[in-house]
Amino acid sequence: MEEIKKESKFKKILSAVTTYIRGHVSDVASYAGLVLCLIVFTITSNGRLWSTYNVSVLLESVCVYMIVSLGALFVYAMGYMDISVGAQMGVYCLLMIFIINATGSLLLGFFVMLVLTLLCGAFNGAVAVWLKLPSIVTSLFLMFLFGGIQYLMVESTGSSIVSTDYDFSIFLEPWVIILSIVVVAGVVFYLFNYTKLGKYTRGIGANELTTAQCGVNTTKWKVIAYMAFGVCVAIGSLFLLARTGSAGKGTASSYAMDVMLALILGGMPLSGGMKAKVRCALVGSFTYSLLSNGLILSGVDTTLVYFIKAIIFMIVVILSCRDRSGLLPR
Amino acid sequence: MENETILVCKNIVKRFGPVNALNGVDFEVRRGEIRGLIGENGSGKSTLTSIMAGMQKATSGTMEYKGKPWNPSTMEQAQEQGVCMILQESNTVRGCTVAENIFAGQISKFSKFGVVNMKKMTEEAQKLLDSFGVGRIRAADLIDRYTFEDRKMIEIVRSVSADTEILVVDETTTALSFDARELFYKLMKRLAEQNKAVIFISHDMNEILEQCTHLTVLRDGDIIGHLTGEEMRQPGAPEKIRYMMVGREIGDAYYRSDYDTSHEEEVALEFQDVSVGEIKHFNLKLHKGEIVGFGGLSGCGMRLIGRAGFGLEKLTSGSVLRNGKKIKDPLTAIRSGIGYVSKDRDTEALILSASIADNITFPSLDALSKFTFIDPRKEKKLVKREVDRYLIKCNTPRQLVSTLSGGNKQKVSFAKWTAKGSSVIIMDCPTRGVDIGVKQAMYAFIAQMKKEGKAILLISEELSELIGMADKIIILKDFAVSGEFMRSPDLQETDIIGSMI
Repeated sequence: MEEIKKESKFKKILSAVTTYIRGHVSDVASYAGLVLCLIVFTITSNGRLWSTYNVSVLLESVCVYMIVSLGALFVYAMGYMDISVGAQMGVYCLLMIFIINATGSLLLGFFVMLVLTLLCGAFNGAVAVWLKLPSIVTSLFLMFLFGGIQYLMVESTGSSIVSTDYDFSIFLEPWVIILSIVVVAGVVFYLFNYTKLGKYTRGIGANELTTAQCGVNTTKWKVIAYMAFGVCVAIGSLFLLARTGSAGKGTASSYAMDVMLALILGGMPLSGGMKAKVRCALVGSFTYSLLSNGLILSGVDTTLVYFIKAIIFMIVVILSCRDRSGLLPR
Repeated sequence: MENETILVCKNIVKRFGPVNALNGVDFEVRRGEIRGLIGENGSGKSTLTSIMAGMQKATSGTMEYKGKPWNPSTMEQAQEQGVCMILQESNTVRGCTVAENIFAGQISKFSKFGVVNMKKMTEEAQKLLDSFGVGRIRAADLIDRYTFEDRKMIEIVRSVSADTEILVVDETTTALSFDARELFYKLMKRLAEQNKAVIFISHDMNEILEQCTHLTVLRDGDIIGHLTGEEMRQPGAPEKIRYMMVGREIGDAYYRSDYDTSHEEEVALEFQDVSVGEIKHFNLKLHKGEIVGFGGLSGCGMRLIGRAGFGLEKLTSGSVLRNGKKIKDPLTAIRSGIGYVSKDRDTEALILSASIADNITFPSLDALSKFTFIDPRKEKKLVKREVDRYLIKCNTPRQLVSTLSGGNKQKVSFAKWTAKGSSVIIMDCPTRGVDIGVKQAMYAFIAQMKKEGKAILLISEELSELIGMADKIIILKDFAVSGEFMRSPDLQETDIIGSMI
């Protein structure tokens, strides 16, 4: 009798767990992916993953991904995307170097960059609405525009790489990095869960028509969402520059796609909506950085890294697509 | 004397995924009867008849027609054998002539070596039209020239032929004018007299009681009972039938019981010389504590009025005013206290992938937000109040709206605006796709709102709902007001129908 009871209790718990997993496939998959990466790379790298040096390298790279994808959350929650971020970040790094070298003021450089990111955000958000274009088209335009500017800027110096001697060491201090991540994540968490910005962007992603009929000026909030992204892009660019101290033609160009992949790895549906969570950016960007770092540490040939990323990406997409929410963008 | 049975259904089961539309229904059609089928939305009436008429297949069960196994694979096949169904939705092909529509699927009858003899076909079609008493419809004309109800008549002419043994009529009459209805009833009687059978689906109790010789009541995929003509004529029959449909006492308080059309003097919402779409220079004053109903055939423009009132349409002239301020968009509408329950519940009114709580608070977020902060405790309190008020059936307010039944979804759609404290509520078909039990609750809420001094604009396709609830009924026809009726115990649907068509 006792035993039967125990067994039925166990069955109950088991069925509760399976229904939870079924309802949260993408959540579970994203955490499982992170844990799996940690375990596998700890073994394959012979523990080098946890060496002091590697942890600090990892931290520096996580920091940029995390801050930028935290900002991207607002845009992706609407079911929109921005593929111009990489080219933008490249230009911002160059611009900051130019300004710092000319005036010696990092603050001025950062300020100019912030203004530019906000303008680009407004452009991405507003033009897409006015011309009734999918957001990817306006960001495609910006991507080529900034790519061209980046090329011209580097060409104008006569060398292939531009650098600055400014001392960025304060931005490489682990406590500064961690504090920055915590502050940005905290602000984004607040905005995303406790203010109109987060609720409206998710609403736009889930059902724009209903959201508009609830009295939401969708154009205005789209612009605000893109601008919030812009602020994070500016901060992220600062940390990126601090790491390298230099920039060239190809700097940062992969960030737009990296951010998208990071969010998907974190369980973010590309169609946006209610399933968008801050966790997607945090977990996803961590997994993504770990993947790049761990593969190289484990001695995988760099030429193979892309293939392995592709396979992992496929697996994640297939897993998340089984979830009925759908992952495809509009 | 029992008439000869013509069609027998045995243990018919129909499943749509996990939903059982029919759980083992036994049903018989006899010659010479006009059998009414009645039941709530989703009770399985249309499913049952569409299986008989070959529109879809049963999951299991057998049918016998004229003593032989009956298993039609298409509607055309069923029709050839004499089982015809006239559908709720219009089913004619635009851009073709009336004759082509009538003989669609039988064109080969008139063709030789791949060439169709159009003249002969048109002549034949005209003969048919004349025999049905609608000779004013010319067979050679394009079908687009005719109105919705003429097209319905053409459909009937197409379906019914000399070989027709069973005619299934699925809520067709709601779309027809008074004259056309009469014509239609005559046709049904004639078929019954010719010893054929008619299955008649309708929501209109009076129509069923007047026209049918037998009645079958369905509920949740089961046949609840059969009534003979005698039982149908007995006093108290409507109450009995309604009880069978719902499975519990509905009571007298279905619609509003009072006939008090008084309201406050204050104007809550004013349409001033409003032109929107094809509606020109429309004027209306909606007062506090007043329910103004809008009715008409679908496509008459009544939905536009509701949308304009909520700032969803661009006005070409005039303005919609609330407290002297213009309503320009949903934001100004909501801020001034207007709410809008859209007819398109799943695409416009609700975010299906969001929780009940998120849906209810959405229009209120603007007001809840203090220095950008939205207090989750305040949200929770608001949601609890509304869930309790409407008795929304859910495990937790965090449950997704997509998991709710139609009636509960509609309650959430209402709750959005009571949560916001809206004092003018525009409702577009608020009880569409909602069954009787929830309907009754909705009517009680609407009556309560009137008592609280709220102004209500009720747009409805159901005349009985307008007669039952509105203080004033405005009927639109072709985008213009064609009639106005005040609430009264004597007001009948037949009084209104004339101005609809």
